[in-house]
Amino acid sequence: MAFLIRTIDVAKSGREIVRDRTVEQSALTIGRAKDSDIHLPDLKVELEHLQLSDAGSGMLEARALGELPFDLDGQTVTQGTIDPNAGGEIAVGPALLAISRDGDGPVQIIIKPAPKENAANEPEAGFLLASAMPSKRAMAWTFFGLIFVLLLSVPVISHQFRDRVENDPEDLNKGAVLMDASWSTGDLSMAHHDLEDNCEACHQTAFVSVQDETCITCHEGLDDHAKMDRQLTGMPPFSTGDAIQWDIGQALGKEGPLGCVSCHTEHEGPVKLEASDQKFCADCHNDMDVRLTDVAFGNAADFGEKHPQFRPKFYTEHFDKEAKRISLDSEPVEKSGLVFPHDIHVSEAGGAARMAMSLSQYGAPLECSDCHEKDENAPGGFKPVVMEDSCEACHSLVSGSVGGAFRSLRHGDVVDLMEDLARVNLGSRRTVVTGRDRPGQYSSSGRYYANFGRPMRAYIAINRALEKGGTCGDCHLRTTSDGRPDLIPVNIPDKYIHGGFFPHAAHGDDVAECTDCHAADTSGEATDLLIPDLDSCRDCHLGETAIETEEIVPSSCAMCHGYHTPAMPWRPEDHPDLPGNDGNDNVAAILSSLRR
Amino acid sequence: MASIPENRFDEDEKRRNADHVSFLKHRGFRWLWIALLLSLVSTIGYALIDQEPRPNGGSWYGYTLGTIGLLMIVWLSLLGIRKRKISEGAWSLKAWTSAHVYLGLALIVVGTLHTGFQIGWNVHTLAYALMLIVILSGIWGVYAYAALPKALSANRGDKTGGDMLDTIADIDRKLDSAAQPLGRAASDLVLAVLGQDVFYGGAFSRLTGSYPGCATKRALNGIPASGSEADARVNELLTNRTEQLSQIRRHLRIKAMLEIWLFIHIPATIALLAALLAHVISVFYYW
Repeated sequence: MAFLIRTIDVAKSGREIVRDRTVEQSALTIGRAKDSDIHLPDLKVELEHLQLSDAGSGMLEARALGELPFDLDGQTVTQGTIDPNAGGEIAVGPALLAISRDGDGPVQIIIKPAPKENAANEPEAGFLLASAMPSKRAMAWTFFGLIFVLLLSVPVISHQFRDRVENDPEDLNKGAVLMDASWSTGDLSMAHHDLEDNCEACHQTAFVSVQDETCITCHEGLDDHAKMDRQLTGMPPFSTGDAIQWDIGQALGKEGPLGCVSCHTEHEGPVKLEASDQKFCADCHNDMDVRLTDVAFGNAADFGEKHPQFRPKFYTEHFDKEAKRISLDSEPVEKSGLVFPHDIHVSEAGGAARMAMSLSQYGAPLECSDCHEKDENAPGGFKPVVMEDSCEACHSLVSGSVGGAFRSLRHGDVVDLMEDLARVNLGSRRTVVTGRDRPGQYSSSGRYYANFGRPMRAYIAINRALEKGGTCGDCHLRTTSDGRPDLIPVNIPDKYIHGGFFPHAAHGDDVAECTDCHAADTSGEATDLLIPDLDSCRDCHLGETAIETEEIVPSSCAMCHGYHTPAMPWRPEDHPDLPGNDGNDNVAAILSSLRR
Repeated sequence: MASIPENRFDEDEKRRNADHVSFLKHRGFRWLWIALLLSLVSTIGYALIDQEPRPNGGSWYGYTLGTIGLLMIVWLSLLGIRKRKISEGAWSLKAWTSAHVYLGLALIVVGTLHTGFQIGWNVHTLAYALMLIVILSGIWGVYAYAALPKALSANRGDKTGGDMLDTIADIDRKLDSAAQPLGRAASDLVLAVLGQDVFYGGAFSRLTGSYPGCATKRALNGIPASGSEADARVNELLTNRTEQLSQIRRHLRIKAMLEIWLFIHIPATIALLAALLAHVISVFYYW
């Protein structure tokens, strides 16, 4: 069988170079091996890739000699037949073999190189890093877009179109703004921790700072420290920088320096609210009288060094309706309306002591707590002293006995007393002397005797009772009202200290005896005011910067004064137990402590 | 008349000197001093001005530093626009670049003080972190431009990139014909070598010089020098190819280190502008 093998190569110039040769044999081998009938020098071609052989009847058989297939008319096969008259195309590696025959001529095999893919235009561009990296512009806009959408647009849009719902602790997700956690500059304080994902609870309106009104929604009933205008006058002037900031801030709708958030800064980490330091108070109170010239109280900056004398509130005159605040420096006299020498009562040796020892109720000399019973809920920390409970065991009002039970005079109202005295002893009435006597059981010694005489001695008795040394006059002062004998009303305030608070519990038995501070053992008159003065507190309490020893307790203002509730301690127990705040050890805190 | 050429020479020499002074030394380090002064003043202010309850971006001093920082960032990022318009004079591109570098460094101080050292997982710290990434990549860029071109030319010798590629192409041609007698398995190894792009490998490979999928290396391992004559020839060519490839890859590595900073500097700058926008808006939105 004759084969005409035509090789077409393309020169660099693009010209085709055609080479023909004729082979007369029954079969042709095609492969990479040099001795192949059709030599295809390409590594994709097997050394002996396929064989073309005469299949009879003018047909050709193509059969792969190795494992690799070839393409016959576009199909990958390992074997096939070709009708040269109809034409066929075999692809092996990069070469195309077109097979045809013109009439009775030889089988023509035209070999063309497969079209090569064009190489990159500028091979050296591969040296640039840009060929191995995504484009800078693409990266830039991707990051820009992600941040702009996720961290800005989503929170803004979801804030604008949220359902404005009331805060519901059960379901904080209701009406929540999306992705705004990314805006939080730090964790909230522990008390506000539940609001962590609920920014809009406080940040209600766009570009409007957190308003007091919003705080008050939950923290209702908190008093202002003082009237706002007085506070503004009393504040020290701002530094230029702060003044400018407040001017701009307030022009843009921020609440002034007396707004809640100006002191109660948030997003400072999971801390608990702590009492302010001494400086916070001293900033205004150190020289407040310069700015608030009519201020009633003195300047204060440090309990040990600069604090006005205490001014307890009590009654300075009998019959006064209002108690007055008087400085302890002015040697005050309390007009309680009572006669009561503390010294006799607390003495361990006197008659009072002996009497108490003889009574099963006491069994020992009197102690302060026998009359002054602690009660944390009472305004002054003690229950009011009640005559019937605290005095009557000794100062008895028993007026007689009826059927084995004692009868007592009623205490508290002179009118009651007069009625009781009138009933005291019918036998003491003057006998009616007429010279005649009633008969039988109605006679003066009989069962049905009735004395209709005037109860003269009872009237005398009331006068005597009210006199000094009488039943009432032992403890009360006598007066006359509307021409009738009466007693001066008792005026003892519920509590003496109003501008601060004093927890007796913190000064228990292990710290001090009552008489260490209250001079009860040397007080012979009820007019002695037994409230200890500033100096006696300073025996132990000095200012915040004092050095702590066994006796000295450094004491900041907040130990005795509240900001919103001056007479009540600020009560963190309103909130669940919170651990203490660790010392802040970041750079700013260290710098700031160095600065001080 | 004799003095004119002399003056002319002096003048020209001055200009020539000015033209060749690095942007870092521009006008006797003018911008370095300005940047140092800015950093110093910011730090002293931070240390001396008492901000209650603690230093914070929202105090008046914080706002001041923040405003300065913002203006600086916007101005610094305008270099991208400025550098496309070449002009001379007081605000020549060199002056601009000098200011860009030194004020960019001062921004570390201004920006850090503005944070009041309060760092968290939020958009504000994102802006700060992006700012630091931009500045650090810029520092790397200045270093790279100063140090690496020397290494690049040392590696290249008197060859151009094109020469190196030609060498590879030449080896490949020889390899193609030398491999003709090889069996299937060895042929496939050589085919893989020829089929693999010279620049095979991503940015990471370029930066580290580690190409675990290198076909040339695999082929070298698979076709021993001790085999047939054809094997030995192919092995020799592969060894040559490996050597040339190493030079190219060293070249790529140095070039990548020279260029990588811009791939961080530019996208991070644009991301920083977005984060800055979100930072400023969010702070006042949730005032």
